[in-house]
This record gives sequence, C-alpha cells and structure tokens, in this order.
Amino acid sequence: MSNDAQFEEQEFTTKINRGTVIRILSQVKPYWRWVLGFMVSISIVSIIEASFNLLSMQIIDKGIIGGDREALIGLFIQYGLRMAVLAVLVYIFIILCGQLGERVQYDMRKKMFQHMQTLSFSYFDRTPVGWLMSRVTSDSSRISDLVTWGMLDVTWAIVNITTAMLFMLSINWQLTLVVMAVLPVLIRIAMWFQVRILVQFRDSRKMNSKITGALNENITGVRVVKAVRREEKNLEEFNELTGGMYRSAFKAAWLSALFLPAVQMISAVAVISVIWIGGLQVPNAMSIGAIQAFVAYIVFMMWPVQDMARVYAQMQQAIASAERVFALLDTPADIVDRPHAKDPGTLRGEIKFENVEFYYEADKPVLKDFNLTVRAGETIALVGPTGHGKSTIVNLMCRFYEPRGGRILINGQDYLDMPLHAIHSRIGMVLQTPHLFSGTIRENIRYGRLNATDEEIETSAKLAGAHDFIITLEKGYDEQVGEGGVLLSVGQKQLLSLARAILADPELFIMDEATSSVDTLTEALIQQGMDTIMEGRTSFVIAHRLSTIRKADRILVIENGRISEMGSHAELIRQKGHYYDLYTNQFKQELEAKYTKAIETGEYEAVVVAEEEKQATGD
Amino acid sequence: MTTPTTTIPMYDFKYAVTTSKSRVVGLLKMMSGYQWFYVGAILSLVLAAMGRAGGFLLIGWFVDDLLKPLPQFADMSALGGLGAPSFTFIRPDLASLIPLVALGYLFLALTEGLFNFLRGRWAAYTAENVVWRIKNYVYDHIQRLTFSYHDRMQTGELLQRATSDVDAVRRFYSEELVELGRIAILFLVNLVAIMTLNFQLAILSIFILPLLALISIYFFRRISKKYEEFQDKEAALSTTLQENLSGVRVVKAFARQEYEENKFEKTNVARYTSGKQLLRLHAMYWPLTDIIVGAQLITGLTIAAILASDGVLTVGDYVSYAGMIGALINPMRQLGRLVVAISQGLVSYDRLSEIIREDREELGENVASPVTEIRGEVVFENMTFEYNKDEPVLHNINFTCKPGETIALLGSTGSGKTTLVTLLGRFYEYTSGRILLDGIELKQFPKSFLRKNIGVVQQEAFLFSRTIRENITLGVDRQVSDEEVIAVAKAAAIHDSIMSFPEGYKTLVGERGVTLSGGQKQRVALARILLKNPSLLILDDATSAVDTETEAHIRNALREMNDQRTTFIIAHRITTVMHADKILVLDKGRIVQVGTHEELINQPGIYQRTYEMQARIEDELEKELANV
Repeated sequence: MSNDAQFEEQEFTTKINRGTVIRILSQVKPYWRWVLGFMVSISIVSIIEASFNLLSMQIIDKGIIGGDREALIGLFIQYGLRMAVLAVLVYIFIILCGQLGERVQYDMRKKMFQHMQTLSFSYFDRTPVGWLMSRVTSDSSRISDLVTWGMLDVTWAIVNITTAMLFMLSINWQLTLVVMAVLPVLIRIAMWFQVRILVQFRDSRKMNSKITGALNENITGVRVVKAVRREEKNLEEFNELTGGMYRSAFKAAWLSALFLPAVQMISAVAVISVIWIGGLQVPNAMSIGAIQAFVAYIVFMMWPVQDMARVYAQMQQAIASAERVFALLDTPADIVDRPHAKDPGTLRGEIKFENVEFYYEADKPVLKDFNLTVRAGETIALVGPTGHGKSTIVNLMCRFYEPRGGRILINGQDYLDMPLHAIHSRIGMVLQTPHLFSGTIRENIRYGRLNATDEEIETSAKLAGAHDFIITLEKGYDEQVGEGGVLLSVGQKQLLSLARAILADPELFIMDEATSSVDTLTEALIQQGMDTIMEGRTSFVIAHRLSTIRKADRILVIENGRISEMGSHAELIRQKGHYYDLYTNQFKQELEAKYTKAIETGEYEAVVVAEEEKQATGD
Repeated sequence: MTTPTTTIPMYDFKYAVTTSKSRVVGLLKMMSGYQWFYVGAILSLVLAAMGRAGGFLLIGWFVDDLLKPLPQFADMSALGGLGAPSFTFIRPDLASLIPLVALGYLFLALTEGLFNFLRGRWAAYTAENVVWRIKNYVYDHIQRLTFSYHDRMQTGELLQRATSDVDAVRRFYSEELVELGRIAILFLVNLVAIMTLNFQLAILSIFILPLLALISIYFFRRISKKYEEFQDKEAALSTTLQENLSGVRVVKAFARQEYEENKFEKTNVARYTSGKQLLRLHAMYWPLTDIIVGAQLITGLTIAAILASDGVLTVGDYVSYAGMIGALINPMRQLGRLVVAISQGLVSYDRLSEIIREDREELGENVASPVTEIRGEVVFENMTFEYNKDEPVLHNINFTCKPGETIALLGSTGSGKTTLVTLLGRFYEYTSGRILLDGIELKQFPKSFLRKNIGVVQQEAFLFSRTIRENITLGVDRQVSDEEVIAVAKAAAIHDSIMSFPEGYKTLVGERGVTLSGGQKQRVALARILLKNPSLLILDDATSAVDTETEAHIRNALREMNDQRTTFIIAHRITTVMHADKILVLDKGRIVQVGTHEELINQPGIYQRTYEMQARIEDELEKELANV
C-alpha cells in the first residue's frame, strides 16, 4: 500500500531534539515530589556505596595494620549501619521510581486513548490499528522507562563518579588525574557499544516478527503447500529469514559479550597505573588501604559508565517513541463542534443533500455534486458496485465525514451547525461486519442505551428476533461473546446489533447489510428486526438482499459517486437499466442458494411448496 | 523436473529428534555439532573466574610484599618503639617487583576479560545456531506433518510452540544455563581460593547463603506468578484498546466515547494496580537480600579482619578476601530468577519436543515412481475409507474413469466428495479395497510424485501475502515467463481483474495489499494449478463463487489448453457438472447414482431435483418480473 512508508517505524533519532526532551520531562512534572524522592535516595545510596571503600581503607590501615581492635569493631558497626540505611533507601527508590513509572504510563495511555476518541474516521481510515496499538502500549512504556529507571541510573552514575572522584582526590590527586584521563575513553567506548547492540537487537526483533508471519502463513496454508509440493522452496525462503535473524542476534550477543571485558580492560589499565605509581609512593604518601580503596573505585566505576551508556542508547530510542506519541497527541480532531452549535432537539424531518462533494485526495473525487432529498420516515436503499460511494454517503449522513463542498440540511438547518453529540446520539447503526465487544450478550445490547433495564434489553432482543437464539445458549443473556465464549455466526451478530440499535431508539437508522449468506431462518429474523426498526424512521440501507431492496421507498443506484438510477422497485425494473440486471442476477443467485441448500437437507419439496404459496399470495 | 538447489546449511536433522524421554538427553542432543563450543564456553567460565580470583590473590600478595620488612631491618622497626606500622620500610628489590606485579595484574585481567568474552561468544554461537536449526526444523516439520495432524491441531497452538517456546529454549542455552554455571563456578572458585587462606573463614563466609538461596527462590516463584497476572492485565488492556479502535464506527455511531473511556480507565487502573503489586514484591526482595548479603559480608569481613589483626592472616590475605567474598556472594541473588526461568525453559522444551516427535509424512522423494507420466486412468475398486476405526466415511466406492474424461461429483455437504478426491493425492490412505492409477495400485506411487502430477484446487482458496504473480507461480519450481503466467490467468478468467489493479501482477495480496473477492481468489488459485499443467486435475468446488458465464468460459479454456487431462469436479450447480462424461451422486459416503446428464435427469433423485430447480428459478424470475 502506498501509505505504508509513513508507518515504517523509525526507532532511533540521530539528533536529540530539545523540545521533545522537555516535553518528555513535562510528563513527570506533576509528580516532581516522587522524582525528587527517588533522586535524593539514589544519591544517598550512591554516596554510601562509595563510602564503603573509604571505610575498608580505614579498616585495613587503622584496624588491621594499626592493630586497633576497638576501632575495628566500631568501623564494622558503622559498616553494618550504613548497609541497613542502604536497604531502606533501596526500598524507597524502588517504590517511588516504579510507582512513578506505572503512573506515567497510566497517564499517557489515558491521554492517548481520550484523544483518539475525538479523532475522525478519516484518521482511522488511513492509520492501521496495529500502529496505534504500539503507540499506546510499547512507546508509552519506553518513555516512562526513560524518565524513571533511566533517570535513576544516570543520577546514580553521576553521583557515584563524582563522589568517587572526590574521595580519590582526598587520597591522592596525582592518581586521580590518571583516572580522569581514562574516564572519557571509557564512556565513549561504552556508548559506541551500546548503540550498536541496540541496533542489532532491533534488527533481530524485526526479523522475528517476519518469522512469526511466515510461520503463521505456512500453518494456515499448509494444505496448499502440501498439495503443490512446495516444502523445499518454502524452507529455503524461511531459512533466509532465520539466517538473517541468526546474524543479527549473534552479533548483538557477541557485542554484548565483548562490551564488559573491553570496559574491564580499560579499568585494568587504570588499576595497574595506580599500582605502579602508587606502589612506588607507598612509603611516602599512600597507605595499603588507600591503594586498595583506589583500585576498588576504579573497578567499581565500570558500572556507572556502563549504565550511562545504556541509558544513552535507550534515550535515543525513547525519543523516537516520544516523537510518535506526541505526533498522535498533536493530531487535531478535524470533526469538532462549531462554535454556537445548536441542538435542534430532533433529527426527524426532511434531510437534504445539496451539491455535496467528497474526496480523500483532492484529485480523486469520491462523490460529486450529489443531490438528494429524503422525506421524514422514508426508507432509502443504496445499491451498486463496491467502492463507488455508497458507504461514503452514509458516513456523510452520520457526519463521520463532513462534506468538502455543498451542504447537508436536516429540517433546513445545516448539520454543521449542530453539535456532534446531537447527531450521533440519535442515530442507530448496524454494520456489515457487526462489531461486538468482549463481554456478555446483555452488555453488548445495552451498549445501545446504557441505562436500559434487563426487561428493556429483552424486549429489544425480541423485537430484533435475537431472543430465541439467545435463550438457547447455556447462559442465555449472560453468555460471553468472542474469545472464551460462544462463537456467534455473522447472522447472529447482526441480530444482536439490530437489538442494540432498537434499544437505542434512534431517529435515524443506518444499515449496511452483510454480503455473506446467512441461513434462511436467521435471514427471516433479520428481515423482521429491520422492519421493526425502520417503521416510521428515516432509514438508509446499503442493501444486498432483494427483500430489503424491494421494500425500500426509494432505491438509489450509485455508480462513480453519482446517482445513476433512482426510483421505486417497479419503476426501476421497467426502466430495464442497471438495476434490472442487478436484480435478475441477484434473484437467481438467491433462489439457487436456497434450493441447493434445500436439496442437500432433503427439504426441497417443502421449500418449493412454501415458495409457491408465497408467490400466490403476491408477497 | 528440476530439484531446487538448496542453500540451507546441511544440518543433520536427526539430532533434533530423539526418542529419549529424558530432557537431559534431548537437550544435549539438540546441541550436537556445537557441543564443543559449549564446553569451551563452560571452560571459559572457569578460567575467567580463576583470573578474577587470581587478580585478588595477586593484589593480596603484593600488599604483603610491600609490608614485609626485610629481616635485617626488623630490629630497627622494633626500635621505633611506638608499635608503629611496619610499612615504613620497603624492601630494596621492590622497585623491580612493581612492574612484574603490574604486568601480572594486567595479564590476569586480560585472562578474565578474554574468557568472559569467549564464554559469551561461544554460548551465543551455540544457542543461536542450535535455535536457527530448530526453527528451520520445526518449520519444515510442520509442513511435513500429515493432514490428520493439522486437522486436530490449532494454528495458534502450533505457532506459539514454534515461536515463543523456541525462544525459551534459546534463552535456556544462551543465558540461563550459562548464568547458572557462572554462579556455581564463581562460588566454587572463590570458595576454594578463600579456603587456601583459611578454612574456617571460608565456612563462616557462606553459612547464611542457604537462606539467601531459599528466599531468592521463594520470592521469584511469587514474582513470576504475579508477573503472569500482570501480563494478563496488560493483555486485557490491549484487548480493550484494540476493540475500541477496530470498533470505532460503533463507538461513534452510538456516541459512546465517554463509556469507552471509562471502560479503558478500568483496565488501565487494573494494570496500574497490578504493576504496583509486582513492584512491591521487587521492592521487598532487593532490600531484604541486601540485608542478608550485608550480614554475610560483615560477618566474613569482621572475622577476617580480626584474624588479620591477630596475625593469623596477613594483611594481603585480608585484601584478597575482601575482593573475593563479594564475587562469591553477589551473584547468588540471581539464583531465584534463574531457577524460575529454567523451569519455564524446560516446560517449553517439552512442548517443543512433543511436536518434534510427531511422525512426518513419508513423501518418498527418492523413491522411483512406477511410471514417469500419468495418463489419467482412475479405477476405484470396493474402496472404503475411515478416519477413525469402524466409522467409514466412504463405503465400497466403485467406478472407472478413462484418461481424458471429466468426472463430476455431486452431493450434500458431508457426503464424502472432498474426502474421495483427497485420497488421490494420498493425503489420507484408504482403508480397504483398491484405487488404481493407470492400472497400478495407488500406494505404489510415491506421494511426492502424485502431488507434483495431480493438481488440486481447494474449496477455500488460500492465497499467500505475496504478489499475485508469486501466488500463481509458487506451485512450480522453475523460471516462468510472463507469457505463461498471463496465459493461465486468462484461462482462469482472472487476467482482466488483475490488470485492473494499479500494479497488475505485482499487486500484493492480503493484509498489506488488495483484498480479493472470493471469486477472484478462487480464480487465482486455479491459475496457480493450471501453471503446473497437471495430468490429473481436481476442482473441489473451486468455482463456487464464480458466476455461471465466467465458469463456462473457464471450462472451454481448460479444454483448449489440454483435452487429454483427466478432471474431477466437485460442485453444487448443475451448470458446472452437466458437461461431465460421468456424474457420480454421493450420499452419506456411498455412490447412489452414476450416469451422464441426460441419463440422470430422467432418474428420480437428487440430480433430477437439482436440475428441476434451475428451470424453476427461471420460471419464478419471470413471474416475479411480471408481478411488478
């Protein structure tokens, strides 16, 4: 698809945008106390950890070499106390930081979700659901990780290095200079590694999702694969994918394996410099304990450096995430209430399309100069080939899209001057592929009117013809739909969405009939449900079944974004135009399907008799 | 026919399959070919740990050397009288010692670094290669299992085993097992090193550790349980989100944004709460182990310090000890996480080996076929087939089909039509009686040969998410010219539709491309089989979604392409079957009527009714239109 490129994920930013960073930070602003809390605790932790080395130095110099037993015990008691304090602080920062992380994710998810509810159809038409899902799930957690654990690690690292430096300075400034010279090299190398490792990981993750896709396809299509004997070729192609994944995963693994030793090696150089220089100095300036402490500081410094490098790499990723999240949040809702919008109180009355024009891309008009007047209570059937504008007309009617040109008037008032809620809350809609939410059947019907009583729900289900099949289910109205519950047929789902629409008691009814065939009984029920709801209501039906079409007050044949034929069933048949062809074809197909089925089940004679009776009564 | 040259690393796949039920044997066998790298990784672990402990010992030794007063100066030191530390004096040879010590330290650090790297690299090399092989194997295995296996296995289940379980096995080799080894070896090496300093000290340095191990395992059991719960909550959140996004039309049509926000809020809060609970467990675990580790550390250090100040240990010993005890204790905190991960890894291995142990379908690729080309004579003799014992799906089937004939099968759903034709490709084996192909018992033909020479167009047309051209050509393993592709597409009456897509034959099919209608899919699938030009063609309700006129066009095109071909057609429509040389009417697994169109319309039965129906439809249409 042409707009695919737009959704190719860019996982790293090469330059770090300050605006984005500030905006990321603003996510934690309301919780600055928590941030302060964990920053302070981690700083103290870092200082205490660094102080252990000084303590060890004193233990060796004073306690052991100096032979001062009392001081030794005292020092160990201090050691123990500091450890206890450390444990408490660790508890505090894990709780604060972790909680903040959960909170930030919670907030961002909420914000994104709320914002998405305001976006219009055209946004969802061009944005894949999967893309939106990753914004809400993975990107939000990446951002929150950066502002919590990432920030924590960096704070720890900076405080750690600073205090270590200060302590080292207090022991011996010449040696400290040696260490300071090594440090930038260490950091550079660590960053070099981390970024590369992350890139390889990302590549192998991408490969992995391709592998899953290939597997999925091969399992679902296994019958074809076996029938055309394509096993070898398939394996060969699959091996390309797994081989690619092998290469990036292995590279990531050995880079990671090389990383620590490389950093260790550089610290080792620093350590031997200390031993070398310090060793010669011992009698003059440095004690044994001091050398040991120095060595310990250097060895230890590896960890903060590693942390900083890791956070740096993650930050690049998180900023890329943040840019996508902010792009989503910044997408303006293009269908919104106009100022001074006035609720007309009802949608009943005449509906008029006046020179309505619509397109997604300016050079490809979908609807051109469309004019239509619908009387109150009229049923309009829309027929015609797919992709010629039928759905666009009903979407415009519902104001899921707004006309690019012309006007739509309800009772003489331009519907753009009405609040959205005034329109949407008075519409009932049944979609071609009925969408049910996970939950019970009752909950799904109640979606039509949230404060409906159980009796009202049952009444609508009866009116829609859904009641009978519902009560045959084990748990009746409390049966779960979808995963973990019963699998409903398309026909049954349509009955439920009809019940939902009936419960809503709309003033305007919109239906997009299912194309897939449903069994005869269900079809009769659907028909009955539709009759109920269309009674006395203005209705638009994108019709596929003859019975629906025949009953409509007016039939519109839509071709190339225009009305090519319009009139009642009888009028259009007499015209012998497109509608005539469409109708006769459909008529044959429907009967054929019905009879074939009847022959299979051995009820052919009965069906024929019934059909003849129907004909006789002129229905 | 050319066999494709394969570029796949030539694995000996027999290593992947083991009849042994033992996990140890299975996991070891899976590693075959790489086991020396893994042994190398483990040896590297030991050497790295030794390098580390050696570094500590060296520093201790160096410290002692620094402190050791030369004998001749010893008295002088005593003369100092103040009990001043003895390090005021340096051995004169010390200056030459320092470079040695420095180089020694560097050497040990290099050793540790090098072997740590090798450990990581070799473990990863083993794991990634083993997993590469396993992935390919499982993929291949799945496509070589029988139809019956796929009939009873669910896609999701297979997919999960082939992906996440394989990954769990990878982690088992590359991370968990090695990490467990690292903990054990660091523990042992450092413990032994400490023992060389002082035995009692060594014992006192580890006596609290069992407690640490227990707590660690206990907590991680709880944490992993909580984590599963957390993941459920996360999944619930994703489901709510996904439903909202894909049901956006319903949400808007009922103006239910607020309701949806509340619903999402609930799952969002549930996840938040569960996340906090998980967090609390972590927040308890780490400080708790900090305290235990701290207690052990201080106990050890205090005793060591007292021993050192009493002169039992040297100062250098103490310095070495201080380094080693940390290396010994700290890794133990990972134990719980590892134990849980390893047990999960083993469960994954079990699930994986369940698939691997399934028998593959023997395709007989290297078995010579009794004939090189099929003429297309098919004879069924008293053939009976049952999926499950004593529940025959087809009873006593008898009929003969001459080369080049067209046989049509008509009957209700479940009458056994599809099963009957599926037997021809030996996707299932018949139970009794005989099927003869060109006079030779079908079982003597290798499956591979049959499937290459018999073309089946299945009821549910399955297209792969590739281009239309690739979908058409994927049944043959040779280069195909555009003319050939267009020719079969024209014969299948799909060429015009394909050309109406902006990218023609290069149009992608499926999720990321165009959605084809049922009839279009069927015709692409037909073109795919036509390209194979099979001597025996089976159309299993393959044009059900194609209109009658187009179907007639396809029928003529097929005859023009090859009138020597034997064809089996399964259909529901009279127009589809009426031109067949022989029509078999099936009911409940038996042939109830045989004959040509002319013969059958004069016999009462399913066929006659179906025929009547067509006439009736025309009749009714006429009446309907007259009514208007």
